[in-house]
Amino acid sequence: MRFDTVIIGGGLAGLTAGICLQQEGRSCAIVSTGQNALHFFSGSFESVEAPTPRMSDLFTQAGIAVHYSPGVRLMPLGTFRPAALSLSDVTLAETPKFARKVLIVNFLGYQDFFTTFLADGLEREGMSCRIATLDLPETGQIMSSPSEMRSVQIARVMDRAWEKAVQEVRILLKDEDTVILPQVFGLNDSSVPERVRQAIPARVIFVGTLPPSVPGIRTQQLLKRRFEVLGGTYLSGDEVLQAHLHDGAVHSIVTRNLGSHYLEADHFILASGGFFSKGLKSNPFQVSEPVFGLDVRQAGDRSAWYDPDFKADQPYLQFGVETDEALHPLLGGRPVRNLYAIGSVLGGTRPELGTGAGLALRSAFAAADGILESPVIPNEA
Amino acid sequence: MNTPDTFDVIILGGGITGAGTQRDCAMRGLRTLLIERSDIATGATGRNHGLLHSGARYAVNDAESAAECIKENMILRQIASHCIEETDGLFITLPEDDLGYQKTFVESCRRAGIDAQVIDPDLARRLEPSVNPDLIGAVRVPDGSVDPFRLCAANMLDAKLHGGQVRLHTEVTGFIREGDAITGVHTVNRQTGEKRDFHAPVVVNACGIWGHRMAGLAGVNVGMFPAKGALLIFAHRVNNLVINRCRKPSNADILVPGDTVCIIGTTSTRIPFEECDSVAVTPEEVDLLITEGAKLAPSLSSTRILRAYAGVRPLVSADDDPSGRNISRGIVCLDHEQRDGLKGFVTITGGKLMTYRLMAEIATDTVCRKLGVDKPCTTAVTPLPGSEEKSYEAVAKRIWESPSMAQKAAAARLGTSAERIRSGNRLDDALVCECEEVSVGEIENAVERLDVSTLTDLRRRTRVGMGTCQGEFCACRAAGLLARAHGCTAQARADLQDFIQERWKGNFPIGWGDTLREAEYTQWVYKHVLGL
Repeated sequence: MRFDTVIIGGGLAGLTAGICLQQEGRSCAIVSTGQNALHFFSGSFESVEAPTPRMSDLFTQAGIAVHYSPGVRLMPLGTFRPAALSLSDVTLAETPKFARKVLIVNFLGYQDFFTTFLADGLEREGMSCRIATLDLPETGQIMSSPSEMRSVQIARVMDRAWEKAVQEVRILLKDEDTVILPQVFGLNDSSVPERVRQAIPARVIFVGTLPPSVPGIRTQQLLKRRFEVLGGTYLSGDEVLQAHLHDGAVHSIVTRNLGSHYLEADHFILASGGFFSKGLKSNPFQVSEPVFGLDVRQAGDRSAWYDPDFKADQPYLQFGVETDEALHPLLGGRPVRNLYAIGSVLGGTRPELGTGAGLALRSAFAAADGILESPVIPNEA
Repeated sequence: MNTPDTFDVIILGGGITGAGTQRDCAMRGLRTLLIERSDIATGATGRNHGLLHSGARYAVNDAESAAECIKENMILRQIASHCIEETDGLFITLPEDDLGYQKTFVESCRRAGIDAQVIDPDLARRLEPSVNPDLIGAVRVPDGSVDPFRLCAANMLDAKLHGGQVRLHTEVTGFIREGDAITGVHTVNRQTGEKRDFHAPVVVNACGIWGHRMAGLAGVNVGMFPAKGALLIFAHRVNNLVINRCRKPSNADILVPGDTVCIIGTTSTRIPFEECDSVAVTPEEVDLLITEGAKLAPSLSSTRILRAYAGVRPLVSADDDPSGRNISRGIVCLDHEQRDGLKGFVTITGGKLMTYRLMAEIATDTVCRKLGVDKPCTTAVTPLPGSEEKSYEAVAKRIWESPSMAQKAAAARLGTSAERIRSGNRLDDALVCECEEVSVGEIENAVERLDVSTLTDLRRRTRVGMGTCQGEFCACRAAGLLARAHGCTAQARADLQDFIQERWKGNFPIGWGDTLREAEYTQWVYKHVLGL
């Protein structure tokens, strides 16, 4: 099978690059293992100070509601963090004291939302809090199985029963000016969070839960849909086993599901993520990149990989694939000319591109531009 | 004087020796107080193999310890059945070992009263499919595994049921003296800062390796020998029988199955006293444990490692052997009145997890003699709370009729005490820890009945966060429950930080492969998603 570009990895970086290329009429295939960092997305795009018009267009066209106002956001354990570009689920406030009286609402039996931590954090900022629980028959059903009360299961129920939850919150509400709810709204129906906001006569703030992240999964689905609407091919649940290189360039890749049907392309993009996503692999002696065996910047001795203090910056998070200026990764010291590395597989090797979501977006745009600027190679077939 | 702060005996140290001594003293009718600087089982008690020694390991070099071990082994099977698993063990001879040693070994075992049966290597391979198939000899012995946290908690619970009091997270800052006698201790609560004095005519020093410091605080010297031992926990239970090497005791030659995991150890390195509070496992130790472990069970080399940890053996120094391995693990009970002219102070040390009950009996005999109390020890024949019935499956059936997996797991952990767990409704039955199947009800039981004040305390009582995910999410859920139970969220948040740090301490020495994947994930979840 032949495409203009084959992208390895279907997270934020891979999908962004794929959308940019499809928009310009380049046929793309994305090979995705299925899970990616968007499933653990906090809702705020890290290291993005202000959105560029290109980012705004990307989100608007995909139907992803974002907003931008530098401020602080309330985190799941009751602390506050600076944030700027965020999904509209995330409320950005100018100061931590954003309310007077707060009603914190949880679902009965849901352990992955930390009401007492939140109340404590808010009270320390001088707000008064009340905690209440919703006991809906709809969530009660999933509760009868002892390990089912998790974010995605509740979100599935809320996609159809959110109005009932809203009714209950209205009854619970006394004189509070703000209501805090867990981020379990709008898994498949992205209009739900806004409709919940409109329907409750107080300011509504959605706060994160333990993963998986419902807004993160929704974002991933919307980006994937946009990519497919533009004509892209998304191969889910597949894994790259091997790559064929010829004369300093990638010729094709082999995947588990497609077997002998190699994926050929003029350009390849490696967006396979960091350690958790298996974009980087490690053994007791070294860190490696498993698909192409690319050069990885790392500390030599294992004892230099870590800081014994968990809170400190961990050296291993800086490890990543080495590239030239144009994001062509190095193999044996020489750039692979039709391959680009983007997103977390770069680790901290390209500090000018930021970290996390910022790194994913900026490097994806840069790789897409690199491909679009290069002349179209006529298809041999 | 008979005030709330006055007791017959004060026991210092919340390890198994202290807990066992408190239980024995309490069962002989004494008013007891146990004081522990940190939590239960934080020293050598919780940092070993969890091996229910048959004594075979010591049979050749230390006949006395071997005989003590097998006797206590048989007693623990009766009184602590919910804390132990009767797995049996193998002593295998590999091609590079001297098969001639087997004969000496078996003869020494029999002299010590240990039922050691030479079996055919083929039978050994059938009994234990994970064993190194190249073995040329095998001996079967009555080894087993023991959960030291559970054992410690059960002893303390029984002491409390007999009127004992326990003060955890309380540090002794000095001794109260009257002339040439110790009559009590000054303490400070490390969580609240509260200072308080407690009085008793006898104080027992059961602080393990820290007993050296405690004795120094009392003005007497107990020469000790801190020997660090490093161990690795694997994410699967690859073996069902304990596997030992049939040779002179050496590094990394015991593999013990326990609950859902197995543990390889250990090493032996002399360390300075200052390092006892912060022992770390080195890359060299990790490499050695993996290499030697794979000789016992080859599949270990491809099994995920969950955690590395190290403990300090409280050996009493006897000679100048630099390895510390040839020192007798014999029990040492010092009556400082006879030894140093200091009345009211007793040190119980040396020994092993296996012989804790005997150590407690000896210490309690000494205390009773000092107090003029004449009551016999009954700890060898009285089951610990939880061990009144032997089969945990039968216990689970009696309590719940048709128990769930989680309820069976709870019965295995708590024995008959599992009947105290609130259950039967969807809120209490909800799982906090999915790896180890710990329910909300079981957590609340531990918080209410087992002196839990921090998340790490909870881990030792319930196995929350000890499974394959090492507390990725259940730590947060449990912290939420603790915050609710104690009404102090700031403390619970600090706890969560401590818990994650403690987890990382055991992870970075083995930080590659899946462990590094999990570590990156934890960094992401706790720093970026949760904002801890």
